[in-house]
Amino acid sequence: MPDELIFMMGNFAARFPTDRRYTLNHMWLRAEGDSLRFGLSTYAIRLLREVYFLEWSVDAGATVRQKDEIGAVESSKAVAAIYAPADGTITRFNAGALADPSAINKDGYDAGWLFEMAAQAGDAMEPAQYLQYLETSWTRAQALLRKQTAQ
Amino acid sequence: MKMLTVIIFRSPSQDPRKHELEEGILAALAREPDVVSAAMPHLYDFGEADAAMASLRSVTGPLLVLAWLYPRAIHWTLDRLGIKGQCGETQLHRADVAADSQKETLKSGASAPARTIWSLDLRDGDNVVMHVEEIQRILREIHAAPLPTQDGSLSPSPLPIPHPTSNAQNPPLHHWYPVIDYGRCNQCMECLDFCLFGVYDVNDDGHVVVESPGNCKKGCPACSRVCPENAIIFPMHRTPSIAGAPGARLDVQKLDLSELFGAPAAVKLAADERNAALVGDGRKAVADPQHRDDKETKPKDNLDKLMDALDDAKL
Repeated sequence: MPDELIFMMGNFAARFPTDRRYTLNHMWLRAEGDSLRFGLSTYAIRLLREVYFLEWSVDAGATVRQKDEIGAVESSKAVAAIYAPADGTITRFNAGALADPSAINKDGYDAGWLFEMAAQAGDAMEPAQYLQYLETSWTRAQALLRKQTAQ
Repeated sequence: MKMLTVIIFRSPSQDPRKHELEEGILAALAREPDVVSAAMPHLYDFGEADAAMASLRSVTGPLLVLAWLYPRAIHWTLDRLGIKGQCGETQLHRADVAADSQKETLKSGASAPARTIWSLDLRDGDNVVMHVEEIQRILREIHAAPLPTQDGSLSPSPLPIPHPTSNAQNPPLHHWYPVIDYGRCNQCMECLDFCLFGVYDVNDDGHVVVESPGNCKKGCPACSRVCPENAIIFPMHRTPSIAGAPGARLDVQKLDLSELFGAPAAVKLAADERNAALVGDGRKAVADPQHRDDKETKPKDNLDKLMDALDDAKL
């Protein structure tokens, strides 16, 4: 298996490392000790562009359900709420990314990780599956962008 | 000469505290020499044909309205009833909402007459004094710069305004219908496409109108969710942005991508609500949201260019 898979967002080649899995809400996850570490996939980051504000609405230690709103990001072009990718307990937030969210753009797959959870994430997708999912997601994203930019 | 007509539209609820506030304001206004005031039942339950609305339509001077609704909902419900004017600026805002979101100035409709209508939400102040002081402030504003009415003079309001005792004999025709904010509506016709109950139509001027409010399904605010300008108000809905809360609209400065990151899509929610109403009507649910965007995105033409064009977008 190659080290990464590529999905074309227009002329932009979004890269997806194959050493991890991906969630429906465009996060990557990888085992980190007893926890799962989560971050935004390049697909999400490309849609957001330059992230310059990140905040969490829950504290470390909080037990959350999948799809609970746990925080928000703001970028040069967009705002978005962040939703819990799985049922579980959030064990730790990345203080580095919170202090300087530009790490998300610079190194989203490593230093720009978001948080760690004690969770199962049984419905996370393998990279190839995620790319298939992006095909439909990308159509939807463009429809939403078209609608919002048309205003 | 009376300079200002003040109408209090009472709460539909039996809450004694609300009644007390209404009565307190009325008593205080009775002592204001420049004010003629009256109380009427719940604004949203009036129909165009009601005698009280006919007499309010004959008031051509400055009008101040207090109701248990958001100011934007008050203004456009009045507009729908043929009581039109410029949106007056008010300074009474509720404490529990961020001040920033209340800065938005109401936008008047294009065809509104020159006279001013001030809309005050009775929930914005929990005591009589707050409301009366705001009314007195507006009175001083009128004194300082007399506002011309349509015929160019400061006309006294016709008196007396019929004071409806009760609506019990004539139950209101419509309890649930959309009110269009024409200060926001851009005539995209999305609501006309979306509503399958024939509530909307286009008038002779080509403007979308709430033609058949009686067809609207109680509790269903789906068209409000699909409106790109958030111009459709359901004054009695529990969600502030749907009930006409100030500033509640899509952030026009920035894209909101929450939907792509897992938020339930407004369009999906709207389709579900419409389906519930359809089924309740003994009709069949509609499989896919018949949404303009869906129709447009089917041919997968050069949409990929959109992302690249975003780089140049002046956001």
